[in-house]
Amino acid sequence: MEKFTKLILKLKWLIILSVFALTSLFSYQLKNLTINSDIISSLPDDDLVAKLYKNIGSEFGGNDMGMIVLETDNIFTKKVLEDVKQVTDSLKITEGISTVTSITDVLDIKTTEFGLEIGKLVDEYELPTRQSELDSLKKYVFSKEMYKGSIVSEDATATLVLFTLLDDADKQAVAKEVKEKIEALGLSEKLYFGGLPMMMNDITSLIVADMVWLIPIVFILIALILLLSFRSVRGVILPLLTAAISVVWTLGIMALADYEITIISNMIPIILLAIGSAYTIHVINSINLNVEKDRKKALIKALSFIIVPVILASVTTAIGFISFVFGAYLAMIQDFGIFTSLGTLIALVLSIFFVPSLISAFSMYNKNTEKTNTNKKDIISNIILQPLAKLLFKHPKYIFSVWGILIMISISAMFFIQTSVNMNAYFKKDNPTRVAEDIMQKKFGGSMPIYIVFEGDMQSPEVLKLMKKTGDFMETDHNINTTQSVADLIEEMNNAMGESKKIPDDKAKIEQLWFLLDGQDIMPQLVSDELDKGIIQSKFASATTSDIENFDEKMKKFIAENSNENCKIQLTGMPSVYVKLNSSLLSSQFSSLIIAIFMVLVIVGLILRSPLKGIFAAVPVVATIIVLFGFMGATAIPLDIATVLVGSIALGIGIDYSIHIIVGFNYKLKENGDVHKAIESTIMTSGKAIIINVLSVAAGFLVLLFSQLVPLQNFGLLVAISMISSGLGSLTLLPVVLILANRKKKITAKQTFN
Amino acid sequence: MRNLKLSVLLVLFLFAGFNTNAQDADTILKKVDEVMYSPKDMTGETKIVLTNKSGKQSTREANIIQKGTDKRIFRFTSPSSQAGIAVLSLPDDVMYLYMPAFRKERRISSSVKSQKFAGTDFSYDDMEAKPNAEKYSPKLLGTEENAFILELKPKSKKSSYSKVIMKVHKINYYPISVEFYDKGNKKIKEGKSVYKKIGKYWNAQEMTMTNLKKNHSTKMIMSNVKYDQNLSDDEFTVRKLKQ
Repeated sequence: MEKFTKLILKLKWLIILSVFALTSLFSYQLKNLTINSDIISSLPDDDLVAKLYKNIGSEFGGNDMGMIVLETDNIFTKKVLEDVKQVTDSLKITEGISTVTSITDVLDIKTTEFGLEIGKLVDEYELPTRQSELDSLKKYVFSKEMYKGSIVSEDATATLVLFTLLDDADKQAVAKEVKEKIEALGLSEKLYFGGLPMMMNDITSLIVADMVWLIPIVFILIALILLLSFRSVRGVILPLLTAAISVVWTLGIMALADYEITIISNMIPIILLAIGSAYTIHVINSINLNVEKDRKKALIKALSFIIVPVILASVTTAIGFISFVFGAYLAMIQDFGIFTSLGTLIALVLSIFFVPSLISAFSMYNKNTEKTNTNKKDIISNIILQPLAKLLFKHPKYIFSVWGILIMISISAMFFIQTSVNMNAYFKKDNPTRVAEDIMQKKFGGSMPIYIVFEGDMQSPEVLKLMKKTGDFMETDHNINTTQSVADLIEEMNNAMGESKKIPDDKAKIEQLWFLLDGQDIMPQLVSDELDKGIIQSKFASATTSDIENFDEKMKKFIAENSNENCKIQLTGMPSVYVKLNSSLLSSQFSSLIIAIFMVLVIVGLILRSPLKGIFAAVPVVATIIVLFGFMGATAIPLDIATVLVGSIALGIGIDYSIHIIVGFNYKLKENGDVHKAIESTIMTSGKAIIINVLSVAAGFLVLLFSQLVPLQNFGLLVAISMISSGLGSLTLLPVVLILANRKKKITAKQTFN
Repeated sequence: MRNLKLSVLLVLFLFAGFNTNAQDADTILKKVDEVMYSPKDMTGETKIVLTNKSGKQSTREANIIQKGTDKRIFRFTSPSSQAGIAVLSLPDDVMYLYMPAFRKERRISSSVKSQKFAGTDFSYDDMEAKPNAEKYSPKLLGTEENAFILELKPKSKKSSYSKVIMKVHKINYYPISVEFYDKGNKKIKEGKSVYKKIGKYWNAQEMTMTNLKKNHSTKMIMSNVKYDQNLSDDEFTVRKLKQ
């Protein structure tokens, strides 16, 4: 180890120059980094439901549908209709918008006394103005299932303007322009913007806001904690510099590899700032504690001592992150796992190569070369660590019991953990997107699209009748407001031809009715060009997991009974994806935790050359994970796409504290052979680094409480709690376990460290 | 040398200016209408080729008979599922549709003229044989080598276009191309036509309309065109539609 550290110091200028060069290269790449807030694009391609949803959404334009709600006390007035027309016209001439549907511009099939009229619900150039006209329009709209609850709310206080985007449009740019344009009209009605493109636009601005506001706060906060802890410029600059460089490298590599910032990888800079500084903290702490006349020798000694625990700490943290690659359902969580673990390793490399090089090159040695310095104990050592060490030896069993009770309580609270996949809950209550979604849910049966896909001859009476039957069946569910398919249009047309309102039995009739529908804007949203695929479009009103699961089950049964060789039926849509996402949250939580625990045990056991030590090291973190889930159960913080990450991260970071204690214990035990003294001196030395580390990491993550996205707020809180718990665990539970284990079975220096 | 060039340019410019003065916009548009609508009647066959954005084509065929500018029957002959469907257009926007599978005719009204005609890129508005001078107020924007460039503003507020730019052949006065602009002044459709003289009339042998937004186009190819056969008004009745 000494040879290795000497080599580092020999190559210091080369190391400094390469770090400088790489940092400039990667910071230049940062400008290419883009934000992708499209959650749909993160759905896995190997999952049938998700794949079908993605395909159907893009094939029939449903994923690119935006909605604007105009709300007032009564929409059937001259003024409101004029305003709707204004919105409609303004959208029509917006670049990137394909079709617009609103009460002033919607396909209508009317049966009149002399024939049939295929036209629009109202003449957009001669809007009804007199009260009698408005009344009859209202009566007509509410008489037709096509409109009631889908274009006009059932209480007639809100109306919907729907628009679809062109395939090649920059969806977020269009959404942004739409919002600005419509708001600039200065209409008196209350406006709400919904649908995925609008939601994505909103998420993007929230991500940007988070990054712009939170990163500097984390930076300043960690700087303050470091200043208070180390009371030296070096102690502040070096950890922050390495953390910042690892953020730049990681984001630079992301940009180079063509990855985008998502709602989850948004957290990468904050996480790396918080944990990336940790390794340098330990390196500096070790250097501070090794005070000798020959400053270079002191540096080498300090480094030789700290390299192994720092490598162990970062590798285990990286494992915590990499465990997401195996269990996660969403691609963005896998990407997050890859790049945070990469960033962790970068921080490691910097802290053991770059930091000592800088110290040596710029003579940033400890100013005090006198041994006396160590005797002047600081606040942390005096007030916390010394009394703690005393307490541990006095009452090891009490401390053990307190942990035992805490764990029992947590285990019982764990059973109350909920899952949440509803995207709406990701926004704060007063966020305009959330408010819009709430309105959509209340007035228009939600905005969660459902598609029933029919593969078969779309002009065959059998298939159309089956579509109708399916639609009717769906509408018996109280969370389904209306359904729409080409079968509804054919029925209307058949009625208008003077036959009854049903699907004709004769295929020739259907083909001829089709002639009139051909080329209508709505057709590409309902049937494929080749007429071999069609969909029922609907929306699901409830975001409650049990409602969604009930509906999903019911539909699956119906489909199994009705699907046949001439017509294959499939169900997809946001609710189905949510069901999948939900079950995947639990299974991926389970698998990533198991992988992480297993790998950590193996690696710690191997490096410490003792499986028992590996298990000891895992005790505080396993306790922490139990406390974490107990806390989630007790406070009703749900498992969601962000909080599902906490368990493995807590494990990966938390194990570091145990490692520092165990390695310190071994080292000290080797020095003087006395368990009691070894534990005490370990707590007094590593304890300080652990407390500083817990404080800076927890503070860094607590900044996420100011995030605009609810899952990130919860994530920050939970990681902070886990850090405190595992720090506390490694300073209390682990020494107690070591003391108690030692009473039963003498741990000797020979057994533990070569 | 430079002077020579300048003077040539000047002469050309004067010539062009002289030309525009001599031919004001109204006169040009009237002449266009004369070329397009002077036959008393016409019969012919048309082949309609639709091309979608992925380049896939589908074809329909129909027979057309027309008298004057406001009586017309469009009778589809192919594909077989649509064969026999016929549309009769009469003055004052009266339209009847016949569907053989139902053995019934129905009066259809399309309150909105911007709707597409039978899945093509032509709207009912575009298909209307109403003289241009009645629909639009023209303005001469300039001239090209062989064409006048007219800007047509719709007279009716109900038009979905804000303006139409029409290029008119300088000698023969048939429209070479038309560009349609939406209310946001963005070009949304583009029509091109190839005219050929049949007897004494110019015939739009090939018309292509492209929807620029949807990247979808329609080509109508005329054949077997015959003019002035003295068709009687009786040909354009509901009774005839059903045959």
